[in-house]
Amino acid sequence: MKKIILSTTVLALLLFTGCGSAPTIDETQENATDANAQDANANNSETIASDETVIDENSNANADSNEMTMSGLEGKMQTVTFEFDKFKVQANQVEKVEANVELAQGDANTYMIKLEGNCDEWGSDEYNYALGLKRAKTIKQTMISKGVNASRITMVSYGESNPTCTDKSESCWSNNRRVDFKLLP
Amino acid sequence: MKLLFTFLLSITFLFAADATLEINKKIDAYSSFGVEDSSTQRSDLSKKFYRSLVADINVLSLFNVDKHYFTSDFDSNSINVENKKLNYVLKFDLISNDNQSLLIKIKLMELGEVRLDKSYKISKSKMYVFVAHAIASDINDHFGAPSVDWMKGKIILSRLTKPGNSQILVTDYSLTYQHVIINGGLNVFPKWANKEQSAFYFTALDTLRPTLFKVDVRSGNKTKVVDSDGMMICSDVNSDGSKLLLTMAPDDQPDIYLYDVNSQTKERLTSYSGIDVSGQFMEDETIAFVSNRLGYPNIFSKKIGSSAVEQLVYYGKSNASCSAHNEYIVYKARESSNAFSRNTFNLHLISTKTDFIRRLTATGLNEFPRFSHDGDAILFIKNYKQQSSIGIIRLKHNKNFLFPLRVGKIQSMDW
Repeated sequence: MKKIILSTTVLALLLFTGCGSAPTIDETQENATDANAQDANANNSETIASDETVIDENSNANADSNEMTMSGLEGKMQTVTFEFDKFKVQANQVEKVEANVELAQGDANTYMIKLEGNCDEWGSDEYNYALGLKRAKTIKQTMISKGVNASRITMVSYGESNPTCTDKSESCWSNNRRVDFKLLP
Repeated sequence: MKLLFTFLLSITFLFAADATLEINKKIDAYSSFGVEDSSTQRSDLSKKFYRSLVADINVLSLFNVDKHYFTSDFDSNSINVENKKLNYVLKFDLISNDNQSLLIKIKLMELGEVRLDKSYKISKSKMYVFVAHAIASDINDHFGAPSVDWMKGKIILSRLTKPGNSQILVTDYSLTYQHVIINGGLNVFPKWANKEQSAFYFTALDTLRPTLFKVDVRSGNKTKVVDSDGMMICSDVNSDGSKLLLTMAPDDQPDIYLYDVNSQTKERLTSYSGIDVSGQFMEDETIAFVSNRLGYPNIFSKKIGSSAVEQLVYYGKSNASCSAHNEYIVYKARESSNAFSRNTFNLHLISTKTDFIRRLTATGLNEFPRFSHDGDAILFIKNYKQQSSIGIIRLKHNKNFLFPLRVGKIQSMDW
């Protein structure tokens, strides 16, 4: 369950005034601040206000027994990796997809399946996220062709933002170009 | 002196009217400029302020800035003897109050005369850097140079703190001031909702479906805008904040949509079976965007409402992101394409009205370019040797500046 804490703080009011005078600012009223600046008859007066909020989105997950079962099944799902800048399933990855389909149609047949597309660290732009999505879509189409109901599958792309490792190595980059299989109630 | 300076400046910018033309030879000798800490109570804060001010004056790219720290008395109009040789000297007096507010007074001196005299007040001393930016902007205006208002604005960025986790921060352009505004979760692609920077959009990825939220900075209200399976990113906001360009994938297919903020309706603008992302508003109801319709990512444009698509960029093997300002487009091009070696991504500038291409960066991984609202500067992310930095390119001055982020990796940003 998400825990959201909101606290609003007025962080800054800048007042730029003409030489020799700096009018007092009422920090709680922006309009009044503008008026003060005009009243000061300054040569160059300007007000900048900045109100900023803090939102804490750290979550506390409570696992029940059903979630434990789901987690156990999810652990059996195998990650499928991809070639650099590609979204076609490689021949050596087909068995993993088939094993996941078997699990999805068997013990995990009551759960939704979330396909998470991921990329290596080369790029943080939207295109990288789209590449991750295309990888997930390739897997989705394969699963549908093997009998999994399309309505059970959702997809998301994390781009480069959810790597399994952060080393600067070939194997690390290779492992990050992947689709993970997650189960949802 | 100021007249001569303004004349030379005008000549420079006259010949730099086309931003795609690189300026290699400019005014041979810039005027010299120094900053003096004339604070009655010198402190670590006044020294920090001095450093920020010197850095900002340097970014103006109008002067040869002397970086030696000298002090003087503010009330007298004399300057430190070490600075007598300089054309201009800026004296500042930083006064801290018990309630954390700051009063900062400045005098710009030339030939023993006061040319600019002003006071600034800020309620929170930790935001002192915004005063330095405002002073630099005022000095820029004093000399009649094109506006650098972007200096005074705020940057909003997403920082990856660990896999699957991010923070959204509000910073100044030099990353000196940093305020975490959303902590925790996986929230990416923050985008200011208007020019006033009173609200912003961001994508939450740890929800059931990728969801676009809008946060009012003043009230803290977070409201859901729209969600989509697969992808949901706000790529651009139009000048009055009423229209958004979104990348969505409701049919598992990443395409660009035009979203009307007031009516909350959306219109699909692209329908290619491959990848269409990163829509950017251009002039004349046209958008630029990234597509792989030629088999690799490249930059295209289309008129809203028309099905015709035009290729904009003919250089670069893999051009995966762009930003547009009027007829100008800055884009990222991959210079090498190898799965197992260092890759280089550089930024290039083109105009839809000329055939020139101007390369803007030379080394490292340069990406996520974003024009300032006035087109004067380009903000970008540079990742080089394990360091993530914000870069600023002053187009008319042919100068780049880097400001490193001490912790984490910058995922995306807006200004």
